[in-house]
Amino acid sequence: MSAPTPTAEALEAYRAEVRAWLADNLPERQGPVLRAAHEVTPEQLAEERALQAKLYEAGYLGITVPKEYGGQGLTGAHQRIWQEESARYALPAPGGVASHVTLGIVLPTLLAHASEEQKRDWIPKLLRGDELWCQLLSEPGAGSDLAGILTRATRDGDVWVLNGTKVWSSGALAADYGICLARTDWDVPKHRGLTWFKVPLRDPRVTVRPIREINGSAEFCEEFLDDVVVGDDMVIGAVNDGWTVANTMLTAERSGGAGAGAAPPAAPRGRRRLAPDLVRLAEQRGLERDGATRQLIARAHISDWLQGQLLKRIGAGLAAGQLNPAAVSLVKLRTGIHDPQRAAIAMEIAGRNGIAWPADDDAASAPAIDFLNGRIMSIAGGSNEIQRNIVSERLLGLPREPSVDSDKPFREVLRDAKSWGKRAGS
Amino acid sequence: MPIQLDLTDDQALFHETTARFIEAELPREKTREWHERPEGFDPGWLAKAAELGWFSMLVPEEAGGGSVSDNPLADAALVAEELGRQVQPGPFVPMNVALAAIARHGDPARRAELVPAGVAGQAIVTWAATDAAGDWDLGAGVTVEARGDALVVTGERGHVQDAAQADWLLVAATRDGEPVQVLVPRDAEGVTVTPLATLDLARRLAHVRLEAVAVPADALVGGGAEALWHQHRQAVVLNLAETVGAMDELFTMTVEYAKDRVAFGRPIGSFQALKHLMADMALWLEVSKAAATAAIDAVGRDAEDAAEVAAMAAAAVGEHGNELAQQCLQVHGGIGYTWEHDLHLLMRRIQSNSVLFGSPTWHREQLCRVHGLGEEVTR
Repeated sequence: MSAPTPTAEALEAYRAEVRAWLADNLPERQGPVLRAAHEVTPEQLAEERALQAKLYEAGYLGITVPKEYGGQGLTGAHQRIWQEESARYALPAPGGVASHVTLGIVLPTLLAHASEEQKRDWIPKLLRGDELWCQLLSEPGAGSDLAGILTRATRDGDVWVLNGTKVWSSGALAADYGICLARTDWDVPKHRGLTWFKVPLRDPRVTVRPIREINGSAEFCEEFLDDVVVGDDMVIGAVNDGWTVANTMLTAERSGGAGAGAAPPAAPRGRRRLAPDLVRLAEQRGLERDGATRQLIARAHISDWLQGQLLKRIGAGLAAGQLNPAAVSLVKLRTGIHDPQRAAIAMEIAGRNGIAWPADDDAASAPAIDFLNGRIMSIAGGSNEIQRNIVSERLLGLPREPSVDSDKPFREVLRDAKSWGKRAGS
Repeated sequence: MPIQLDLTDDQALFHETTARFIEAELPREKTREWHERPEGFDPGWLAKAAELGWFSMLVPEEAGGGSVSDNPLADAALVAEELGRQVQPGPFVPMNVALAAIARHGDPARRAELVPAGVAGQAIVTWAATDAAGDWDLGAGVTVEARGDALVVTGERGHVQDAAQADWLLVAATRDGEPVQVLVPRDAEGVTVTPLATLDLARRLAHVRLEAVAVPADALVGGGAEALWHQHRQAVVLNLAETVGAMDELFTMTVEYAKDRVAFGRPIGSFQALKHLMADMALWLEVSKAAATAAIDAVGRDAEDAAEVAAMAAAAVGEHGNELAQQCLQVHGGIGYTWEHDLHLLMRRIQSNSVLFGSPTWHREQLCRVHGLGEEVTR
């Protein structure tokens, strides 16, 4: 942002202030950072919202957000100090992943594309935890090919009527609003007929249903929109310019939510420990002196470290304007490659302990859960293959493949796809 | 763009001067003239490079050295990166590391004689660090014994860089079972240098046999095991910076080729099979740059975790470097398999560097030891 560069003294004073406030106001974190979804009870949700409001009132949410939108108007350096100092505290996470989506993905998107009036009205509510948002983005028929969505918004007098099905929305059960991508023009190429809307999830014409995932939990939801009516004040960005907005959003999502308001868990300062989860698994089987196992542990530990180093490099390079913004896809791609490899290493070291464990030992299920969750990041938010397209085209400048769908009206794309099979091999 | 972001103005200028010097004096196509020649490089060229400060950076100012920033290792890494890009010959890494050790731990009179000559490129110094098989042994393969006022050095060192061209060898050895280093003139009686055939056409490596070589007592360089490990970390970091420079050059070359080469009526770089491969290669390269930057910082500051970070970065860069080079050859196809193409020069350098100061497997084991896994704490 445009805040003046703070002096080292000012930053140290800020650090002291943050440290004191945290010690006085927040409990230290007991368990690991919230990582998988939980079904949050209304009581927990209310408690967490109250905690977030407290954080906001103290000035620690929206640290880099301009003051006119309820933020503090401070610098990225202030934000980093907050992240470092707060890493070991239990920060509020209303609705599980919903606050991550709200602050890490929706907030930067709104800051870039919402109208002045919308920003002044909505953003303070987001920061304070009064409004939790989710994304209404993917559909049963459109994931990686996001511009191929079928949800429609039809003009009816001076309002819009939305119909369609959305899926893979993180935290939608706890959320109050969804930022929804809909098709507003079917007679132009697919990227040019899309528009974003703010949709109230408590509307009776919206049905939210949890989806049970392969790990048994229900973090994601699907939503059915049946004649949901919204006004022009709920349109985000220009009508039919939704793809521009989508690119901002996807960049925010791929950068790991390191946006203006969210506080992604920073590693606490101090000495690194050698992949503690894997060492424990090795010790359970007496393999800590086994050469092959040591290589696996070292590989995983190095890969964990490289994740952090890459994020640091890309973050610094982007902030200094030395790197192409598409470089965030490198971070996303590496996560999508690292996670399943890491999970496979844990399963290999765990051996039979990874496929059966005492029924009352929850911790022992971690390798199995990680194995099941290992491909979340290689699929969600743009699959590895989509990231590879972005890296090769936008970062390396390699030519695009010939496209069959980007230059003709979307209506014809749908029609021609039906006869695709007849052309195979011809 | 240099590997390290956030260069100071002085560093950026130094980097640019270095790149221009190499371009003018010994660009990659000219290095080929030296491939067949056993001496490997021209001492006159080395002396010119010394004028730019190539051998002064790790030597403290009071000993006649000096560098352009407060992290001399970062400055040296800027040079190493360019050496990698242009596959330069010469003992840059071992000479810098040896001169720094002599300046810090050598006998004052010897230091005053040798270090300024080394910094000026008038004396060539190399580091004979590893055992007969080229493995790190903390000097175990060479013994130093007192005989009257003198010392007698006996044993073998393997894979010593530019030993045949060197005036001085800084030899890792043991005295009464304790690691030490000792300065040996290459032309002393009892020193036999046997050049090895090398994968890297620009790198001269030799086996060195020391048969009861007599040196004066002031040839001993102190610092013990800690100094040896410190030098090893410096060498590891400069070596991997060189590798990342070579990777960057090779990958840039490969992307350009994929845009130019046409097959099936399109540039081959438009095929998704190759685009996705090159996206992965871009990732390996960026990760290697990040690892190198972290290692330059940690070892340069002598941080508490310097040994751990050096091991992690070396394992990562070694592995990614080789897979990147292999896939660059794959993207080039037949042309990359020809002698005239520079691809193999870079591929040879990358593979050679990936084992020179410890293979990725060695560094991974080293990481486990640094952490004391299985109680095998070595340091």
